[in-house]
Amino acid sequence: MTIRTCSHETELAQALKAGHWPDGCPPDLRTHVGACRNCSELVLLTQAFQRARSESCTSVPADLASLLWWRAQLRRRNAANRRTSRPISIAQSFALLVNLAVAIVFVAWQYHHGLRWASWGSELELARVLHPFDIGSRLDGNALLVCSIGMLALLSGLVVYLASEKS
Amino acid sequence: MRNNHTTGEYAISNAEARLASRTGTPAMDNDAFAGFYQRSAPSLHAYLARVSGNTALAEDLMQESYLRFLCATWPEGGEVNCRRYLFRIATNLLRDHWRRPRTASIEDVPERLLTSADATSGVHAQASLDPAMARMRPRDRQLLWLAHAEGYSHREIAEIMGLGAASVRLLLFRARRKMARMLREQTVPDRRKA
Repeated sequence: MTIRTCSHETELAQALKAGHWPDGCPPDLRTHVGACRNCSELVLLTQAFQRARSESCTSVPADLASLLWWRAQLRRRNAANRRTSRPISIAQSFALLVNLAVAIVFVAWQYHHGLRWASWGSELELARVLHPFDIGSRLDGNALLVCSIGMLALLSGLVVYLASEKS
Repeated sequence: MRNNHTTGEYAISNAEARLASRTGTPAMDNDAFAGFYQRSAPSLHAYLARVSGNTALAEDLMQESYLRFLCATWPEGGEVNCRRYLFRIATNLLRDHWRRPRTASIEDVPERLLTSADATSGVHAQASLDPAMARMRPRDRQLLWLAHAEGYSHREIAEIMGLGAASVRLLLFRARRKMARMLREQTVPDRRKA
């Protein structure tokens, strides 16, 4: 489709926008509009749309502006909170991953060394029978292990709690 | 002299808009926004309602447009540019709405079908414009409204719709021709009936 422009179009558009059409326009422009397809279409459409606009432009309730203002404030504050809490969430996820990795390495290491902790129960029973007052010395090698497991469990619990607290 | 491209009691100045963009805080306080809202909301609502053909949707989109406008960094150039920016947000929201997969819902039924004929105001203009508007493509409806109802130039429409000015000129020319033909076809049977 070829765009055909008319030299009177700008003048006519300004007259329509200012509300000068048809009475405030020179007679030659009015005669031209009657003969020019572009200009007559411009008049037809602009008048139809202007009429529709004036009928649709109803007054709006003023209290809605105040409500929108406060809703926007709240939305902006929430966005700011999300921005500031993002590094904390990343740190929590990182801590969770480190804990999981440590737990996996620990289990793998124990498995590799023959699951010695599985015999603790029987060792404890035997120690209680043979040396009822010297249980500590029998468990020296395992004390570190017990502390590690306890610490890991404590940290994991803390990390899981912090991660789930937000949700 | 302070460069102030604004009108009205609560108009926004360039300096305030610049300050807002630097600090990230709103340049308008509650009262200033109320004034801007009173001046811009009727035309924005008319645009959304006529282009979407759904008053309920228009109200939702209008509120969302203002919320996004208030949360965004405003353009420089005072109220004229703020108003254009608001129309740009609304245009994008309309586009997003049309892109979403359609579901049959009571919300999608145009309000004019739910209200009685005597309850509607401006029946004449709706009767003449709405059937033709409904037959136009959404983008053409936006173009025509912005050009002929809001009186924006090709460059301004290009800015609002995110298109090139040359494309706007061509698309608007085609849309105008099609719309004019439909309006004429509509008026000829009306005259015959009379």
